[in-house]
Amino acid sequence: MSAVTRFLAVSDFLRSYLTVGIFAGVAIALVAGILGLGSLIRPTRPQASKYVNYESGVDPVGVGWSQAEIRYYIFALLFVLFDVEAVFIFPWATRLEAYGTFGAVEMGIFIGILALGLLYAWRKGVLRWL
Amino acid sequence: MSFPATASAVLAVGDAVPFRSPALDWHALAPEAVLVATAVVVLLVDLFTAERNKWLASTLSGLGLLGALVPVITLAVDGNTRSLFGGAYVVDDFALVMKALFLVAGYVTILLSTDYIGEGDYWEGEYYLLVVSSVLGMTLMASARDLITIFVALELLSIPAYLLAGWRKRELTGNEAGMKYYLMGVFASAVMLYGMSLVYGGTGTTVLAGIGRQVAGSFGATPVAALGIVFVLVGFGFKVSAVPFHNWAPDTYEGAPTPITAFLSVASKAAGFVAILQLIFVAFYGRDEVYGPMMWVLAALTMTVGNLIALRQTNVVRLFAYSSVAQAGFILAPLAVAGDSPAVADDAIRAVVSYLLIYTAMNLGAFAVILAVSRKTRSGELDSWGGLFEYAPGLTVLMTAFLFALAGIPPLGGWFAKFQVFKAVLGAGGASAYILAVVVAVNSVIALYYYANLARLMWFQSVPDGDRSPVRVPAAINLALALCVAFTVATGFFPGLVGHFGDAATDLVAVALRR
Amino acid sequence: MLLNQFLILSAVLFAIGVYGVIARRNGVAVLMSIELILNAVNINLVAFSAMTGTLAGQVFALFVIAIAAAEVGVGLAIVLVIYRNRRSIDLDEVDLMRG
Repeated sequence: MSAVTRFLAVSDFLRSYLTVGIFAGVAIALVAGILGLGSLIRPTRPQASKYVNYESGVDPVGVGWSQAEIRYYIFALLFVLFDVEAVFIFPWATRLEAYGTFGAVEMGIFIGILALGLLYAWRKGVLRWL
Repeated sequence: MSFPATASAVLAVGDAVPFRSPALDWHALAPEAVLVATAVVVLLVDLFTAERNKWLASTLSGLGLLGALVPVITLAVDGNTRSLFGGAYVVDDFALVMKALFLVAGYVTILLSTDYIGEGDYWEGEYYLLVVSSVLGMTLMASARDLITIFVALELLSIPAYLLAGWRKRELTGNEAGMKYYLMGVFASAVMLYGMSLVYGGTGTTVLAGIGRQVAGSFGATPVAALGIVFVLVGFGFKVSAVPFHNWAPDTYEGAPTPITAFLSVASKAAGFVAILQLIFVAFYGRDEVYGPMMWVLAALTMTVGNLIALRQTNVVRLFAYSSVAQAGFILAPLAVAGDSPAVADDAIRAVVSYLLIYTAMNLGAFAVILAVSRKTRSGELDSWGGLFEYAPGLTVLMTAFLFALAGIPPLGGWFAKFQVFKAVLGAGGASAYILAVVVAVNSVIALYYYANLARLMWFQSVPDGDRSPVRVPAAINLALALCVAFTVATGFFPGLVGHFGDAATDLVAVALRR
Repeated sequence: MLLNQFLILSAVLFAIGVYGVIARRNGVAVLMSIELILNAVNINLVAFSAMTGTLAGQVFALFVIAIAAAEVGVGLAIVLVIYRNRRSIDLDEVDLMRG
């Protein structure tokens, strides 16, 4: 088998990615072309105030890496944990009837133990907003 | 085969097969069920009781661990090997022996913790919940005969342990202990998972027995199999703190609360060994030219490096940290020759299991004495142990017993453990086995030096600060000491006791060789 | 066979992750590197699952995803406690005991 025929024998799956590749190439060329053209045509007069972050006309205060309220961390973490545990509920939900009572009891135990985690968070007061 | 076609085939199979609910053997699952119930009760008690009633958490979790021992004993009396979930979860004698070890070690840890945590200014209820969860992970590990189950059990025992190691959260050493243990543990389990994914890819199954058949067959000869085996075993090398994966151990042991140090150095390590035993004897047995040399090098390095660094320690907890690294080396030694022949495999598993049982008793005992003494001296430095005999003769005698047991001097338990290791290694024969036996012998002598040095300090040195007031030992620690010393001495005089458990545990090997 | 591409992708991710764990000093960056390794594992598992026609790999991947979330939760909590005590998450500074 020659190199050319081997190339042509690439699976359909890969060939459909060729479209993606061409599309990405065109996108990059377009953006680079327009920006490049702009930089050739426009006048350049650098000033310090032009490089300040744009905050709707107000003078920026502090640094970009300002801290968020630490409480967000607990909420974010609780969300991530409960969100990800849902991954075990999906396979069960797709075949709800097939699993029947056994599945329902099993999932009840699973969700019950998860709910204990929520109960813990509630009793420790982390769910109360400021 | 083309890719999408197979993928849809998988889906089609999923739709076609009607679901049959698995037959649950509740007797086999009873120890774990008791532990889950204990964890739930401890959590609820912690949430809904006043601060002065928090001791309930300690008592309840202790009772729960002892309660879980009951089904373990009834299962042992029953004697049948029970296999659940398509062979993913097996309750055989090996699993039962290890479950009993984890439950008793967990109970002793709770005894050691009761006063330490009660008097400290950190949370109490969560502490016991985490200990019980960790023990639950260990008992699960003892029965896990499937890559997924092993992974879940490993994380269930590790994640609470990370939190426990960093328990003293307002102290920098506590933070450091937690962080180092966490990073090393998570990195190790990620590497192990990568190895597991390769093994699964080559064999198409996650059940260890099925992997074992494939590894013995054509898949075993491929380089991917070797890579997978090495990655998986490296992951557990971290867990048992084998050199060169031991860096976390001393700092974590020093910064963690002392009862947790005892727990990590005994139970968590034993759980790592349980997983290694199951993987080697059930899944990877056919590739002894991969894991054999690896275990040889790990064992020799672990013993030697652990012992040499232990010689230079001035802090008693760090001394025991390195000593426990070195002890892991002794336990690894029989695994280096395990693939030689079925008879050697039997000897190896007997040696590892008896060593783990005896090591658990003597190391927990030593940590119980350290806890009792540090309640008075408030110091971990070796010098503060000077003249202990003058004001705490009982503790001194006990500590000396544990030290000589750890060194392997008859008639205390440790000699039988070392004897079993020698028997297994020498039984294999061949140059590499004899060299390993020499390394073990030399290291036993080095270890004796630092154990004896601590004994010398206690018996012959004078008290550094002249404070000869007696040490008040809480009842819980006394009970822990009694349990440990009884087991250590009894196994020394009646090695058949532990030997019996070791023999029972060989049924793990039988599974591997029956195919 | 298409499997190779997946395996190469996952091997590259694995290598980047290991490099990140070893070379980065920022605690959060190390956690992200560990996530990379775990995702390399997931790619492997799902690709092998499709190749061998068994479902165990996909189930394994689900467990890895869920447990990784729990691990990262604990890791972030530890990083946060360190930040509270030291005002820094540079891991090289977390070395009082020099093990």
